[in-house]
Amino acid sequence: MFGRLKRRCIDAARRVLGAWRRFREFGFYSDSEARGLALLKEWLTPEQLVQYRQYRHFDVTGCHTGKRYRIRYGVSMNVCELDTLGRPLVGRCFVPKDNLVAGDVMLAQKIALETNERGALQVAKTFSPRWRTIHTEV
Amino acid sequence: MATQIIMDHSGDSRHEFNPADAAALLEAEQRFNALLWDGYTAAVRTPAGDPTVIRKFDPKAEETLFVPRFVGG
Repeated sequence: MFGRLKRRCIDAARRVLGAWRRFREFGFYSDSEARGLALLKEWLTPEQLVQYRQYRHFDVTGCHTGKRYRIRYGVSMNVCELDTLGRPLVGRCFVPKDNLVAGDVMLAQKIALETNERGALQVAKTFSPRWRTIHTEV
Repeated sequence: MATQIIMDHSGDSRHEFNPADAAALLEAEQRFNALLWDGYTAAVRTPAGDPTVIRKFDPKAEETLFVPRFVGG
């Protein structure tokens, strides 16, 4: 009885989440946000693009330490260092000085970590990640 | 045509120029240097798609992206 109810609730939640994602993808963004996301998608690797389309985050590898970072949709407190199992370990908050849209911020963070990881970490402030660990790939 | 893309609050601003045109090339180089002087980082993509930072104007680059400097959030 409860198992069936639970499954129905989960299905309903998934449908609502899917509808919300489609709404955000096609009808919610302003022109500038859409431009930022289009630029981001142009610069992501095919693997990162697949991951972003599926989960709205993508992983990058730091050029100096080889550590993995997860960049999720957002303009601040959206970068997280991952442990060896792909779980959020520590948050790294660094953002471009100018006021940019989410797509630009994420792309700037990707470029910083992939080309000048130490420089990015030098200015970054740490925070405790509170992200859910679902969608964690090993 | 080559493009210089500058991240800004509107998403981005794009400046297209013909690399075969000496005057346009000079203007693009001046823009490149001015942006780096302002603290921007210039990045191009390798054929494999990986970003690479450049510190000197590359007249052969088809697309150069300029990213503002970072601050701690």
